[in-house]
Amino acid sequence: MRAALVIAAKDLKVELRSKEMLSAMFLFSLLIVLAFRFAFSNAVSSGAVGLPELASSALWICFSFAAILGMYTSFAKEKDRETLDGLLLAPVDRSELYLGKALSSLVVVFLVDLLSIAFFGLFFSFDYSGQTLAIVAIALLGSVTLVLVGTLVAAISVNTRAREVLLPILLIPLIAFSVIVPSVTATKNAMAGGIGDSVQQIESVAAFAAIFAVLGYLTFDFVLEG
Amino acid sequence: MMMNRRKLGTILLVISAVLILMTAYLAIFFAPLPQTGVKSAGEVMSSVEGSKLQVAGFVSAVYHRNPNRAPDMPEHVVFSIADFRDYMRYVQAAEANHLNQQWWTVRPIDVDSYFGGYVVAGTSPDIGWRITAGTNLSVNGIVTSQEIGPNSNVTGFSLARVSGDDFAFGPVGSFGLMTAPVAQKIFYFHMPSAWACYLSFGVTLVGSALFLKTRNHKYDRVAYSSAEIGIVFATIAITTGPVWAKQEWGVYWRWDDMKLVTTFVLWLVYIGYLSLRAAISEPSTKARVSAVYGILSFITVPMSFLSSRVAPLLQSSHPQVIATSSGSLSPQAGMTIGIAVIAFTVLFITMLIKRVEIAESEEELEELKRNIGEEE
Repeated sequence: MRAALVIAAKDLKVELRSKEMLSAMFLFSLLIVLAFRFAFSNAVSSGAVGLPELASSALWICFSFAAILGMYTSFAKEKDRETLDGLLLAPVDRSELYLGKALSSLVVVFLVDLLSIAFFGLFFSFDYSGQTLAIVAIALLGSVTLVLVGTLVAAISVNTRAREVLLPILLIPLIAFSVIVPSVTATKNAMAGGIGDSVQQIESVAAFAAIFAVLGYLTFDFVLEG
Repeated sequence: MMMNRRKLGTILLVISAVLILMTAYLAIFFAPLPQTGVKSAGEVMSSVEGSKLQVAGFVSAVYHRNPNRAPDMPEHVVFSIADFRDYMRYVQAAEANHLNQQWWTVRPIDVDSYFGGYVVAGTSPDIGWRITAGTNLSVNGIVTSQEIGPNSNVTGFSLARVSGDDFAFGPVGSFGLMTAPVAQKIFYFHMPSAWACYLSFGVTLVGSALFLKTRNHKYDRVAYSSAEIGIVFATIAITTGPVWAKQEWGVYWRWDDMKLVTTFVLWLVYIGYLSLRAAISEPSTKARVSAVYGILSFITVPMSFLSSRVAPLLQSSHPQVIATSSGSLSPQAGMTIGIAVIAFTVLFITMLIKRVEIAESEEELEELKRNIGEEE
């Protein structure tokens, strides 16, 4: 566990020095919310799409794509700078490496989640009406599940040609029902003030987090070997 | 060894062909049609009022008559059932926010669950309180009253069978009642191919795990051969399903039905597995990395299998066949589906043997090509 923390701290330190990811992610979440703003401006002003429905769906699209982008870069950067071999030579268990990578991705992804929530409120003049904390909590839980499966799949895709295309192809079907569908429902309920209605959704996201964590912990070793 | 296996493959091929022809014969001539009957609303009411009935349909409204009942009193819920074919009309009304207006063609009966209780497909009777307007379900109860919608002359509605106590409580979630009984015959190919696809992906899981453990490429060949075959069977399952759904539900596909969408996602995940393999050229990396994804993707199999069973988080009106609370198939239908499942299992084994043979030849060819390259 200590090694995982050290690896996560290393990733975050590199990030803090270069601020490469953070600035990219900031712009990414800004632009994706803006894209929704432009794409849905007619639908929203005519009342064809309710803001809470749009908010819960749009936010989870932002979260998912931000996570995909974040986890992709987390490994691609190591591979391109040829630091991955160094990381693999480190005398730590590969499973620790998995946890460390997941943890550092989680920090970045969660920051983007917070930004997207703020941008959405700003650009759509959307009032979270006191439910911000519940929405942030669901975002955190969903992001934990996302990075746990995403880190494993990102490590898989970094071995391939066309890895930027392959990561979403491999990841989106896996997260569709484990994260996106239940989280969108939970977020929608939270916006209506009824987070208590989504106990089952929250339990199911948490259960998938546990399943992915165990699978990742056990199989990560094989992905990065050789 | 090689020769023996080829012989075995040929024998199995003949057996599976015979079994599949037999399935087709049994499905057409032997398996009974599910109960059905289309009657006008008036005809229905004169014949069923006060009697017990079993009906499958689409809930248009739910009333709780005794919300403040004593704890030992059974809950008294009344459903209004409309035909499955009203589903699209319901969706349109829901989208236009007109649910409070009449959107049905016929709203023929209220079913009182007070006596018989009711069975919701795949769930225990005690979840009845979770039923909301829009749920598809089958009900067993007493007819108490009727309301006719604005277009009642347009359509009748289907009714399984109205009778007294001798009512055979059939598999409600399955074939107790169907609006399109003939289309149900496709089930004898649909369900076995779904089973064969789950089986194939199970073999991929085991093959992948064994490869990671032993590093023997034999297991990798089995894993990816099985995944390819699984995709073929999954494709059969998700294309035969809509053929039936169009007749029974009135629509080819329902994006709100978890069974349908999780199976579609299952298909996508294994397409992803093959794309992953195609994107790696180095054979040992390919085997190692795709084995991990082969293990990971298996989580979509229980998701697809359980999605019509674990309510109400995952809602589905997809019929269930194995081990439901609502009874079992008739012996003839059971025998037909049994033979169909055996046929598809044998077909799967045959295809797997052949595909692994091809995979071996392919690898041999690659090896030869590499050797030629080295010599030059």
